[in-house]
Amino acid sequence: MFLKQIPPLNSLFSYVLAIWALACFSGCTPQEINFRPNELHVASLSQDSTDQQVSELAKKASEHVGELFGTPDLPKWPSEIADVVDMVKVKRSAGPVGRDKSKVEYGLFRKHCVQCHGTTGDGQGPAAALLAPYPRDFRRGSFKFKSTPMGKKPTHADLVRTLEKGLPGTGMPAFGTLNHSVEFAEDIDALAHYVRYLSVRGEVERRLISAIVNQENAAEQVKIIASKVAESWALADSLSVKPPRLITAWVPEDRTAAIERGKAIFLSELTACSKCHGKLGDGDGTSQDYDEWTKDWTIRAGIDPNKKEEWKPMKRFGAIKPVLDSSRNLTLGAFRGGETREDLYLRIVLGIEGSPMPAIARKENDNPGVTEEGIRDLVEYVYSLSNPVTGANPVTGANPVTGGADPTNEKGAENEQSN
Amino acid sequence: MNNPTNPRHALVYLAAMLVTVLTFPLIWLGGLVTTHDAGMAVPDWPGTFGYNLFLYPVSAWVYGPFDLFVEHGHRLLASVVGLFAIVLCVIAYRNESRGWLVKVCYLFLGAIIAQGVLGGVRVLLDARTIAMIHGCSGPLVFALGSFIAMASSKRWRLASPKTGSNGLGRVAVMLLALSIAQLFVGAHLRHSLPTWRPLFFMSLVHTHLLMATLILLAVLYVSVLVRNFANSANRELRTPANALLVIVTLQILLGFATWVANYATPWVELTPWLAKYTVQGKGFWESMIVTGHQATGSLLIVCSLWLACRSYRRVPVEQSAEQSVASLNNEPESTARKVFRPESVSVGVE
Ligand code: HEC
Ligand code: HEC
Repeated sequence: MFLKQIPPLNSLFSYVLAIWALACFSGCTPQEINFRPNELHVASLSQDSTDQQVSELAKKASEHVGELFGTPDLPKWPSEIADVVDMVKVKRSAGPVGRDKSKVEYGLFRKHCVQCHGTTGDGQGPAAALLAPYPRDFRRGSFKFKSTPMGKKPTHADLVRTLEKGLPGTGMPAFGTLNHSVEFAEDIDALAHYVRYLSVRGEVERRLISAIVNQENAAEQVKIIASKVAESWALADSLSVKPPRLITAWVPEDRTAAIERGKAIFLSELTACSKCHGKLGDGDGTSQDYDEWTKDWTIRAGIDPNKKEEWKPMKRFGAIKPVLDSSRNLTLGAFRGGETREDLYLRIVLGIEGSPMPAIARKENDNPGVTEEGIRDLVEYVYSLSNPVTGANPVTGANPVTGGADPTNEKGAENEQSN
Repeated sequence: MNNPTNPRHALVYLAAMLVTVLTFPLIWLGGLVTTHDAGMAVPDWPGTFGYNLFLYPVSAWVYGPFDLFVEHGHRLLASVVGLFAIVLCVIAYRNESRGWLVKVCYLFLGAIIAQGVLGGVRVLLDARTIAMIHGCSGPLVFALGSFIAMASSKRWRLASPKTGSNGLGRVAVMLLALSIAQLFVGAHLRHSLPTWRPLFFMSLVHTHLLMATLILLAVLYVSVLVRNFANSANRELRTPANALLVIVTLQILLGFATWVANYATPWVELTPWLAKYTVQGKGFWESMIVTGHQATGSLLIVCSLWLACRSYRRVPVEQSAEQSVASLNNEPESTARKVFRPESVSVGVE
């Protein structure tokens, strides 16, 4: 045959055939897609347990939760607890990717998110270990970029914002383009509901594990826990903080003065901003800390995340290498929670949950802290680190150097006129 | 019959080229199906939403959701390629004197049909692993098609198997093996299953990078070899070698871009641009880059095959023609073959 024409192709051909056949066989055993039990949490709560005890306990918790919330293909929502998700949307996001006979698309989460966040929403998708920061583990119920205070759940709008805009400088994509075409326009909304679903499911599982470790009755506790967690999500909208309207069209001298005042606050002991972000705000600070997701299974479990020999054994329960959550270089202007002054105001006032970044201490009654004016000055200072005073006249938009209009300031000028 | 300029042979060559050239966009479209996770955009097979494949309303296809557009388009183009493969078989059967090549044409048709059925099974079972196998064998079928084009070319008939040591040929075959293996690893990355552990995926990525380095080295080595040889016989090998160099460079850039388009870079604090860079979920250019990376991968396979064919079958150069004739005559298999010299051109007779 033709292989004789080029002898080495002969062996190559059989080689390829062999690999191909191997791929066929390995592929013919479809793995069932299911929620992964939270072994890491069990292991970090009960260090003396054997591997088998860990996996049994994790499985037990997972089963109890499964009775209430179903599976990745067939999600459920217990009727006893607050109705914080739209199940029609959750079902559309769940399951395998594809359209049904009436062309409705399903499996949105597996289509767009599973690669990083994993089926369980545990931040352990296949690509997770290669990303920095790691994808979010929704099961802790903590989210970074939101409009609600520390320890509170994000609003639906917060999640939608993250999905539309993405998180610059991380693997988290912007899915805003989906909104541009009619057939995908509902997808982000549906996905945000699914994130809530996964987060509630995962947090119930986590808390149930703690209850079981504390010798409480799992079957009784699971419903109580589920309604508490759902309640916390139901509250989110009422806790949302609305930022004040901040000045965008500054008189140059006023802006320079505000920046100077803000800088003093940035450098002050009270806020300690510069301790983490460096004196110039370029991320040169000395703080070397981990995020809460990492601390949960390291420091809180008596493991030093800096010592490989200590954390390495946790890998068998699904832990990935602890990575520092380093303070941001603020001069780059890449703000994950949004780059307007209002967004920065929220970040500074509310902090970034789960990361070392604290909420600012506000002056209330006699407590030491920063006043509302001080916070606005601080915002202007942080904003100026990536949007320095250029000398352009913000009212006319004319740049004194080139004489032409400065496009970056046009918006500001319009705002000024409409005010 | 064995006259290299016989127009009937040119017919086989043209038909083979046509099918091969059509297969390439098919690979692109297939890649787009994976990039957009559109494999199940049409839940039935061989029909489309209950319609016959060819009768599915054009407006519903063109104005339908994008994933449906891609998947149905892939199916339509695949059937066109299938039809042309049948035409190729008929032409080869009637015009090709070398029995083995006709058989390869049949094999090619069989492979195309098998590939179509595999695609159908992927839909019917909704099995992502089958999608991966389908994605692996696609470029192999493409390579087989281009092999037919190579073997039916005028050059192949003029050439004869290389005798003696053939270092370059061995590198070419190694390169071919590597690029096929690279295709398999790449397909695993693209079709990763949600059940995979992060560390497994990471090891695949590292393998992919390691093999990319090996392929780059092999291509660089080849381009040095074809340039250094005093022997002008190697001049012919420069075309595929240069093509490989261009493709490998392009492929490495595309690979890097693919990573960035999917996962951003790890060095975000380096420049404001990187820090501000946000991955665009299912953006148009992003999906083109990702798809382009896998399509270029199949070109890499074809070009290595091309280089292998050219280095194992050399066209004697005129200066060394005498020598070649002598060496040819010692070869029992190719007694019928003649060395192409202008004076030996005559109208082909069967
Ligand atoms: C390429 C990987 C990747 C993909 C795909 C991806 N994400 Fe993310 N996602 C991340 C990373 C990384 C983070 C963490 C960023 C950080 O900590 O700053 C994240 C964070 C998040 C957050 C948390 C935001 C916050 O305020 O804490 C949500 C919610 C989220 N992703 C939802 C999704 C959804 C829904 C999808 C699918 C539509 C998706 N992600 C797809 C990588 C990804
Ligand atoms: C304990 C250390 C620490 C202190 C104190 C601190 N930060 Fe941060 N800051 C961080 C870390 C860590 C991040 C990155 C969080 C992440 O995305 O995981 C961050 C992020 C930020 C961001 C980026 C927000 C975004 O949208 O991406 C801003 C702005 C910021 N800090 C401002 C400040 C200001 C102003 C202060 C003082 C009031 C301050 N920080 C105090 C550690 C700190």
